[in-house]
Amino acid sequence: MKTWKRNLLAVPILVWIGLLVGIPMVLVVALSFLSRDHLGNIVYQFTLDNYRRVLDPIYLRVFLNSLLLALLTGLITLLVGYPVAYITSNLPPRRRALALGLIMLPFWISSLLRTYGWMILLGNAGLINNVLLALKIIDKPLPMMYKFSTSLVGTAYMLMPFMIVAVFNSVDKLDRSLLEASYDLGASKWKTFFHITVPLTLPGIAGGFTLVFIPALGLYFVSDLLGGGNTVFLGNLIHTMATRGRNRPLAAAFSMGMIALVLMVLSLYMKASKDKTGEGLFQ
Amino acid sequence: MKQPLLALVELNKYYGDVHVLKDVSFDINEGEFLTLLGPSGCGKTTLLRCIAGLERIQSGDILLAGTSIKELAPNKRNVNTVFQNYALFPHFNVYDNVAYGPRMKKSMGEAELKTKVAEVLELVQMSGYEQRMPHQLSGGQRQRIAIARALINEPAILLLDEPLGALDLKLRKHMQTELARLQRKTGTTFVYVTHDQEEALNMSDRIVVIDQGQVQQLGSPREIYNNPANLFVTSFIGDRNIFPVEVLQVGDDYSQVRLGEDVVAVRSSPSARGALSADDEAVLAILMDKMRISCEQMDNAFRGEVVSIHYAGSQIRIEVRVAGRILTVVEYQKLECECQVGDSVFVSWEESGAYLLPQEDGWEERGL
Repeated sequence: MKTWKRNLLAVPILVWIGLLVGIPMVLVVALSFLSRDHLGNIVYQFTLDNYRRVLDPIYLRVFLNSLLLALLTGLITLLVGYPVAYITSNLPPRRRALALGLIMLPFWISSLLRTYGWMILLGNAGLINNVLLALKIIDKPLPMMYKFSTSLVGTAYMLMPFMIVAVFNSVDKLDRSLLEASYDLGASKWKTFFHITVPLTLPGIAGGFTLVFIPALGLYFVSDLLGGGNTVFLGNLIHTMATRGRNRPLAAAFSMGMIALVLMVLSLYMKASKDKTGEGLFQ
Repeated sequence: MKQPLLALVELNKYYGDVHVLKDVSFDINEGEFLTLLGPSGCGKTTLLRCIAGLERIQSGDILLAGTSIKELAPNKRNVNTVFQNYALFPHFNVYDNVAYGPRMKKSMGEAELKTKVAEVLELVQMSGYEQRMPHQLSGGQRQRIAIARALINEPAILLLDEPLGALDLKLRKHMQTELARLQRKTGTTFVYVTHDQEEALNMSDRIVVIDQGQVQQLGSPREIYNNPANLFVTSFIGDRNIFPVEVLQVGDDYSQVRLGEDVVAVRSSPSARGALSADDEAVLAILMDKMRISCEQMDNAFRGEVVSIHYAGSQIRIEVRVAGRILTVVEYQKLECECQVGDSVFVSWEESGAYLLPQEDGWEERGL
């Protein structure tokens, strides 16, 4: 009886998730098996055609682009974000609060505006090119926009705070006496970092990677604006199909493909975080 | 003269403006069990961390077998630490924890390492626990692994930072014996930090009493217990009644002092001999359990009134008001005199239990 009453507390959140996540999800799944007429209206007729097209080798390229973008984003945010998080957590309390505040500050500005900011910075008539031209370091503008790498930089920038915060939380929890014990037992700072710090902050790394990887798959406006559509990613593809392409069933099928990718990463994350004690990492 | 294993030479350490170690100098001999004893915040742990290299000193020197190690990083010093919370690596099993030191220093191959790990685990009576993870061990077991992990490196000195603090009383007593046994068996020099006088008195060859970043006294447990060098040591070690008296006459061995109406003769401490003369205020310290209560009038005793009597198992604690001060007397056998609260009694003591010391400024304010 008591358990039943206690479980009652979960009802609001269950309703919330049911209404706003569950039902749309079911709709997307259902939609992915439907057909459309030539005007883009949905025809209630079961078909596997959409999935056949998703698996078409033409679109494999798009999956690979997205996967590469998300993986590289995860890697870059990790390489840049880990040291930032590590240093931040070792700061004295006041400066630490300041640093965390500064890391969060960009969230106060619309991400769309910040993406336009990158265009102002990187464009042919942008700030960097203008300065370099004025200093006569280059004689014609460096093309920095509308490339895969531009999308990558923008996506990594956009998701960096997630990685920093995830790693920060786990570095912050790290027992400093373990590091001292490691030095005391004869390990150098680098050895201590790789044998003690990294394995013990692995949950943070895995968490940060997941937090970055998943949105990187779907963040279509960054690659739209900075990549100029030169490289097609899953997010852009789905967006285009659902709007201009007027093919919502196909867009739904691609969404299912993306969800499959995300689930793969999540299952890897579960594995990494279950292995909290890091057993077998250094055998 | 034999060279000390470790020499501390006028160490000074500051945290910002706070002077935590003040001109600390003493020697540690090879093979001894030396305890740094003091109240929390006295600087004993800081001193240990300075020896380990985990803290830098601002001035002075640390010589290990005659060579300065003060500039060496902790991983280059031939000393190992057993940390207060054990600091076992939670992601390694017992074997990998113990093997960590030799692996980092690449001092032996895996085959030799295996024998070595088995040896030290045997030494701390933890054979068969190789595959356990730290979180599967009890506090006492973790303690043993932490010691094994340090001892496998064969350090010149093993530093122990309040290692028994987190254990319950029974286990603590057991581990005291165990540590003393390990120290004898390995012949390793132990430097042990504690705030527990009983631990210090039980295990140590020598004790360094530290207060406010300064060495107060260095000596064998017996010396420190019976002949405390100053008021701090007097009040910190042993349960004593400490109260001011008026000096009538100072002799080399005995002095005459007065409390209220009663005049008694007591042992003079070395520091009292030079510093005191007639009519000075001095401090008399008497061990509570060396005091006696009697109903008959006797020499060398204070007259007082019984304020309370507590029976606490094997001992009886009696509070007596003498000249407006409350003295506590601890008796172990049946009382010689069947006194009641309010009775007039005489308080005497074994000669060795009383000690006369010079007055120090502000000692009463410090709560000694």
